[in-house]
Amino acid sequence: MLNVHDLERRHKVYKLKVLLPYIVIFVSLVVILIVILFVNNSDMFKSNEVKHNQEIIQKHIEQTKHIVLEEVVEKNETLQAIPNKQELKEVKVDETIVLVPSLNFIANIKHSSTSSDVNYERVINKKDQTKEITKTEAKQKIALKPAKKEPEPVIIEEIELQRDNPLKIHRQNTDDDINHVIKRFSKNNNPALSLFIAKKYYEMQDYHQSYNYALITNRINDNIDSSWIIFAKSLVKLNRKQEAVETLKRYIEHSKSSQAKTLLEEIERGKFK
Amino acid sequence: MKNNIFENSKRVFLDCVDAKDYVQLDRVSTIYQSLKDSVKKPLKMVLLYGKPGTGKSMFLNKLYHDLSTSQKVIIYQTPILDENEFFKSLAQDLFDVKYQGELNFTQFMNILKKHIRDGEEVPLVLLDEAQLYPSVQMEKIRLLSDTRSVKFVITLHKTQKEDLIAKEHFKTRIWETIELENALNNELKIYIQKKLMKANCFDTANMFNQRSVNYIYKITKGNYRDTNKLLYTLFEIYSWYLQNSPSSIKTNEMSKKIIEMSAIHTGLIDA
Repeated sequence: MLNVHDLERRHKVYKLKVLLPYIVIFVSLVVILIVILFVNNSDMFKSNEVKHNQEIIQKHIEQTKHIVLEEVVEKNETLQAIPNKQELKEVKVDETIVLVPSLNFIANIKHSSTSSDVNYERVINKKDQTKEITKTEAKQKIALKPAKKEPEPVIIEEIELQRDNPLKIHRQNTDDDINHVIKRFSKNNNPALSLFIAKKYYEMQDYHQSYNYALITNRINDNIDSSWIIFAKSLVKLNRKQEAVETLKRYIEHSKSSQAKTLLEEIERGKFK
Repeated sequence: MKNNIFENSKRVFLDCVDAKDYVQLDRVSTIYQSLKDSVKKPLKMVLLYGKPGTGKSMFLNKLYHDLSTSQKVIIYQTPILDENEFFKSLAQDLFDVKYQGELNFTQFMNILKKHIRDGEEVPLVLLDEAQLYPSVQMEKIRLLSDTRSVKFVITLHKTQKEDLIAKEHFKTRIWETIELENALNNELKIYIQKKLMKANCFDTANMFNQRSVNYIYKITKGNYRDTNKLLYTLFEIYSWYLQNSPSSIKTNEMSKKIIEMSAIHTGLIDA
């Protein structure tokens, strides 16, 4: 006699047995997919974490760069005594202050270029600096302070004033500074930053880059004298004197800038090469 | 009543060998005709072999049923393993000789010589399940067939052992061998439907579409005996559902679930 209920039960077991491999394969695939997704997500999370950490580190670096080093060099001291007389002051700037390059500082340099005892074009690296120190007899401390309108001093500078060799500007980590400012500029498109970069590149004699950033600055704001000056100077340095002259002429027509006029005269007379 | 239909259909697939249940399929009919032709030829022995459930017994039964009216033919569906009993049965069935006491091979040969006359049609002996006979007895059957006084048609299961028997005992003597095989897919559908229609079970015959037959073929591999067993159980289950839970079955097509349940019950599926 057939026991159909028992047969039905056995049939269910059989169907389960038949479907089990498919279920196992399906579940395995799902698990594998989940694991793959999880692993990918964790990688992304890790990379985000790394980015976040890098940002934090950069912030810290920014903060530490807000250190103004003042070197005090007394006059008429012997060469051996010079290092002992150096005093370094570390000043930490409030974290909330946004770093903006001191355009006035650049302007100051510009103005000082006209005086006979300052040679701002001579930028000396550390090694050169130490050599210079051994040669100099007296140095005068100049601490450059931030511009009035832009209260956040960024630049770590050590400026030595020499009687025989008028002015020496020592910069630390110039490349890092520029890269950092470039990053900031790419975030907020502040023309002051691009102008700062252009000036820095000009100082570093990278005239292509200074031309580019001056051009960018002019596009953002075409009323900044310094930007047009750097733009024209870079063109001259790139052997595009005629373009520089034409650019300055057009700018003078537009702005009546005395600085631009002076530079135009210098270029035309061949004083500025 | 539906119940009767399923019950009738169930009986169709009872596992019994009856010539009346023989289903004519093209390929099987051809083989059967060649067997009949072989029997008429002056040969000593015909070997019918194949896997269990391929219809050897049915063939032998059909042959007996067809030839019994026209010639002297006897069939032993179950082997007579005792040699004495075997020859005594032969003597009685072939020549109506009731031998008292033991009858050995030599004594049977004497009886044979007395009763066989020249020109008379040689009697036909059909031995089913010949693989069960002891080899000594098979050797004597071979010697008997060599006399050409008795013709044998024997069936063997096709296994390694039976192949060996065939080689050893019948290699030089068998004039013709016929192999039976399982049904093909399309043959199985015809087999099922013809069997059902023979019993006027048209409704249940129509329930077998190609898909359900394919599934049955997958389970039984076309073996007639397994198919009969499966379908017998199938209709038994259908009959039960019809009586106890008629709403759970469809009568327009075979349920795969019930086919599987039948296969589980008959052991064709290992659940």
